[in-house]
Amino acid sequence: MMTSLQASQCLERSPLYRRHAGATLGRLGDSLVVSRYGADDEHAQLQRCALIDLCNLPRVGFRGAAAADYLRERGYQLPDAPNRALTQSDGSQVARLSQNEYLLLGSLRDGGARIAAEERNWQFGASANYLLPRQDSHAWLRLTGEHACAVMAKLCGVDLRPAAFGTGAVAQTSAARINVIVINLGDEALPCLQILCDRASANYLWDALLDAMAEFDGRPAGIDALLQR
Amino acid sequence: MKIMPCPLNGPRNISEFTYGGELKQMPDPASCSDAEWADYVFNSDNRAGVVTEWWMHTASSYWFLAERHTVSDQIIRTFDPKELFNRRIEFSAPATETPA
Amino acid sequence: MTSPSRLPAPMGLLIDRDRPLHFEFDGTRYQGFAGDSIASALLGNGRWLLSRSFKYHRPRGPLSMAGQDANSLVQLPSEPNVLADMHPLQADLAVTGQNFSGSLTKDRDAFLGHFSRFMPVGFYYRSFYKPKGMWKVWEPLIRKKAGLGVLDLDFRPEYHDKAFLFTDVAVVGAGPAGLQAALSAAEGGARVLLIEQQPILGGALNWARFAIDDEPAHRLGQELCAAVESHPNIRILREATCNAWFSDHFLPVIQGNRLYKVRARECIVAAGAFDQPVVFRNNDLPGIMLTSAAQRLMKLYAVKPGQRALLLTGNDDGYLAALDLHEQGVEVAALVDMRAQPNDGSLLTALRSRGIACHLSSTVYEALHGKGMRHVSGAEVRRIQAQGQVADSGLRIDCDLLCMSAGYMPVYQLLCQAGATLSYRDEEAAFTLRGLPAGLEVAGSVNGRHLLDNVLRDGRRAAAAALSRLDLAQAGNSEAKDFLAEPRVNFDWPIFAHPKGKEFVDFDEDLQVRDIINATRHGYRDVQLVKRFSTVGMGPSQGRHSALPTARLVAQATGRSVSETGVTTARPPFVAEKLAHIAGRGFDPARQTPMHQRHLEAGAKMMPAGIWQRPAFYGPTEQRDACMQAEARHVREKVGLIDVSTLGGLDVRGPDAAELLNRLYTFAFLKQPVGRSRYALMTGEDGVVIDDGVCARFADNHFYVTATTSGVDRIYQQMLKWNAQWRLDVDITNVTAALAAVNLAGPDARKVLERLCSDVDLSPAGFPYLGVRLATVAGIPARLLRVGFVGELGYEIHVPARFGEALWDALMEAGKAFDIRPFGVETQRLLRLEKGHLIISQDTDGMTHPAEIDMGWAIARNKPFFVGKRSVQILEAQPLKRKLVGFSLAAEARKPLEGHLVLKGDDISGNVTSCEYSQTLGRIIGLAYCAADQATPGGQIPIRVEGGEVVLAEVVRLPFFDPDNTRQEL
Repeated sequence: MMTSLQASQCLERSPLYRRHAGATLGRLGDSLVVSRYGADDEHAQLQRCALIDLCNLPRVGFRGAAAADYLRERGYQLPDAPNRALTQSDGSQVARLSQNEYLLLGSLRDGGARIAAEERNWQFGASANYLLPRQDSHAWLRLTGEHACAVMAKLCGVDLRPAAFGTGAVAQTSAARINVIVINLGDEALPCLQILCDRASANYLWDALLDAMAEFDGRPAGIDALLQR
Repeated sequence: MKIMPCPLNGPRNISEFTYGGELKQMPDPASCSDAEWADYVFNSDNRAGVVTEWWMHTASSYWFLAERHTVSDQIIRTFDPKELFNRRIEFSAPATETPA
Repeated sequence: MTSPSRLPAPMGLLIDRDRPLHFEFDGTRYQGFAGDSIASALLGNGRWLLSRSFKYHRPRGPLSMAGQDANSLVQLPSEPNVLADMHPLQADLAVTGQNFSGSLTKDRDAFLGHFSRFMPVGFYYRSFYKPKGMWKVWEPLIRKKAGLGVLDLDFRPEYHDKAFLFTDVAVVGAGPAGLQAALSAAEGGARVLLIEQQPILGGALNWARFAIDDEPAHRLGQELCAAVESHPNIRILREATCNAWFSDHFLPVIQGNRLYKVRARECIVAAGAFDQPVVFRNNDLPGIMLTSAAQRLMKLYAVKPGQRALLLTGNDDGYLAALDLHEQGVEVAALVDMRAQPNDGSLLTALRSRGIACHLSSTVYEALHGKGMRHVSGAEVRRIQAQGQVADSGLRIDCDLLCMSAGYMPVYQLLCQAGATLSYRDEEAAFTLRGLPAGLEVAGSVNGRHLLDNVLRDGRRAAAAALSRLDLAQAGNSEAKDFLAEPRVNFDWPIFAHPKGKEFVDFDEDLQVRDIINATRHGYRDVQLVKRFSTVGMGPSQGRHSALPTARLVAQATGRSVSETGVTTARPPFVAEKLAHIAGRGFDPARQTPMHQRHLEAGAKMMPAGIWQRPAFYGPTEQRDACMQAEARHVREKVGLIDVSTLGGLDVRGPDAAELLNRLYTFAFLKQPVGRSRYALMTGEDGVVIDDGVCARFADNHFYVTATTSGVDRIYQQMLKWNAQWRLDVDITNVTAALAAVNLAGPDARKVLERLCSDVDLSPAGFPYLGVRLATVAGIPARLLRVGFVGELGYEIHVPARFGEALWDALMEAGKAFDIRPFGVETQRLLRLEKGHLIISQDTDGMTHPAEIDMGWAIARNKPFFVGKRSVQILEAQPLKRKLVGFSLAAEARKPLEGHLVLKGDDISGNVTSCEYSQTLGRIIGLAYCAADQATPGGQIPIRVEGGEVVLAEVVRLPFFDPDNTRQEL
């Protein structure tokens, strides 16, 4: 047991780390992440209704007239329209938020290493390609399970049912009265919405989501079950 | 609740948007009269008919323009401001400059 | 306890006879069944008197059995004004009546009815308003007499929430039209939401009778319901009320404790029609009900509505209802038809063959009652001789049930909210709805279709119209010509004034025929004005039964037709809704900095700053002043740490970064050196000061601009809006939440920082006041800004938010050797006040321009342009009207509060914007606006403080503390 792992030993901390009391923690780069709550397998929970804190998984944004070329050169496949998202071959995900703005979400497979490197290696130069500190500006939650869109319907005025909001759809909208970016990158096997919100509001939205999830027996879960899919 | 068609985000509840006032042409601040400037700053036409207004989709901080009929409240068209503002705007130095 | 006897099945569709429930009404125990409403259970026990009327305290019983009248409002232990005919019966429910003195059956205020001629329409408002102020005296007494129910102040709120619900087609009402429309739309491929108020589908199919032989309609109803219930494209919300129509088919639908916010692409309203009462003397007695109500009682609840019935009708449906009553063992004393004959002659034969007398061209002129008016005992029936005129004498018929129906009025509420107008066709005495918005269809009786064939056809037509707009095209399968001719269903003048009055037009408000006529005699010819003057239609039933007779009476009294008069319109909500439904699960967003928990752990008293939560000071609430003064002294003498993460932060990057700031802020930024910061003041186009901050230049094309906590979002949006027009080559990013920040301030600040930061020369020469640096602090990449907001040596340290808490921990640890302590916002406000620094929007208001706050130095007048430049020029050319000054008072003086007024003679010349006791200075200090000629240092300004006392404060030069700014520049 790695009971000695504590968020306060790391420089990077999720705004939600105090919500993970009692969970089994694992390392994610220079920070910690919840592997699972309790001893039980969380696959069934994931399928039903679960909320996962991915705040410590790297993510970054790029914006500007030169952003698309920059990212293509670095091997990313870019969505061909705003408010669409694509999963890359390594599991990273790229969402296009406007004509020239992109959001890169790290993959659990490499602990977000590729995306973390993008943030580290970016140089501010003459070209119009501006880094956006999305890991610090936004909290990242993942809402999974068959009830995901029913949960969101209690908080959000955009129709997120699969028929209207299929895989690859992105909505920049309001949920529980704060701004959010919702991305459907689920699949047939596991419906799943990525939710990014103002980092300072992470605790607020976490509570609002758990409250909305209660009627579906929704709970927080860790990343182990996600990784072992 | 009314639906606003956003040029970037598609149709959304009007509560997702922030009103930004009517589109107005700024008179040349260096040469217009006080009265013309005051009229620009403080007065609105309040016209019954189609007006062009600034709106912002709050969640994406995206500004656009909407043509709306003020009587029927019908939104006729929304479009990116690039349609109207397609080049860099410069301000000339005031004609008579006093040394600091 | 009384035990109910009910009609045999198939009567009683809603009740479960195997589940008896006991309950209490006004102290008496009764038994009902699961599925009963409170009202049906009471009527099943022969208990008719449910309430007392609003004004005259007349006894009242159920009228509509459909939640459409105020007669059945009752009190539950924790909820007043509950509709007894809609509220489901629960075990051991304790129900009481309301609006009576003493007991419901013996109301001491019932005598008020005898004074009705002294209480004419508009009585309260005309009688109690003079002399001025008297309404305040009378109001509580009148409200008590007219009160509706009692609030339970110990009530514990229940959980209510809201949910969006998206659908292609929303169908309101699951009667035959709604069922057919839903089914046709679903079969055409649309996703359908069907909204029904009742617990079962079917609507009128469940209780109305469509023909002498009822079997075909019955079978059809069962088939339709089964098809709808099993269709995968249809979602059904039962016991749900669509309470309004809002733009673009946004429908609030209440079901239980949840409010659904339904967004439909298409909407079909099949809400049905309201049965209309007949206006005659004593038409409000218990035992008199709408014909449809009696049918509902039997078919839905198996309650026998009476032993001997009299029916008064204006259409053929009354005959069919008479058959229903007859078949259920109710003796039908007679049917009274206001018309000369029924449309369908076979109905007369059917009734007469069953021994039921039919009186044509006749009406009930007066309902009769025994002592106490507790129930109808009979009626006087007279022949109608002309519109509203009856013969001099008539026939007296005994009965204990009087069913009345003058015709139907469409359930027009949602449609009027959608912008439709009700237009009356005088020749048919019926309404049609015109001007429906796109995507809104009506079907069934709300659309004037009453024959079952037509109703179903109309449902299919509405669905086809919706499908074609959804591009699920169907060939239009129903044309107007396909509909059968509808017989007339409304009698055009079902109003019979009586010399002794009490012919109620509006049961909620106890308004009689003469009240409406009198309103027109007072000059109120417009039906809307009649409504406001007489309050007709303003009670809980919102004109469902009174709108039509009122329109008719106003039309007659003013010599116009009903089509010319029109009816009052309807606004949301359709039925009374609880505030809890509107509030839902309250969403109250709060932003927390990464160090939030550390503040709590350190005992911070938190305060809101916009939607942020910030530490006000550290310590118990009651020791605010002591904590704040101690924290302030600590910053002045040692070193303190404050979380300033909430401070707005904007990254402005690109070749035009300096140009953008040059246009937005008043100062000049083009030549600002890299590594330096500059004060930034922003004015609006009107020259008013709207924000300030610091512009730090980290590179030629990278500025980091701070903004006020509450202003940053607005400032960011304005920047984007301006640049949407200017098209400068620049990127603007709001990094407020992305950067955690602290201000490390005090004489020992450098020593603390030196322990954690080695990659920057921190010496006064290497990193001077107003310098900015990129550095590493405790292993964390940081932006350092040397600032002087609190007037001490200070470093703002801005780091990515993920490191915020670690930075805080490192600084507190490194500061231990220097006795570091955290300080809060209130302390910071005191410290900056001592330095005379303003807080925009606290010390400025919506009128403040730079000259009023001595900010002329922060304006670069030689720039070609900045937002507000022209207005500032115009304002500066005018004489100064007021000025912000520093003032001070002796420590023991009465301390002014923010907002207290500054006087000049008898006039107000300004107000206090900030004020606090400064331990450092030993005096009360503050900032206040005053007249320009009061602003000279050394003079005095009178300030009116709490209690009206006026204190004389000395105007002093700013800053109060360390005037040469030596401390912050250390």
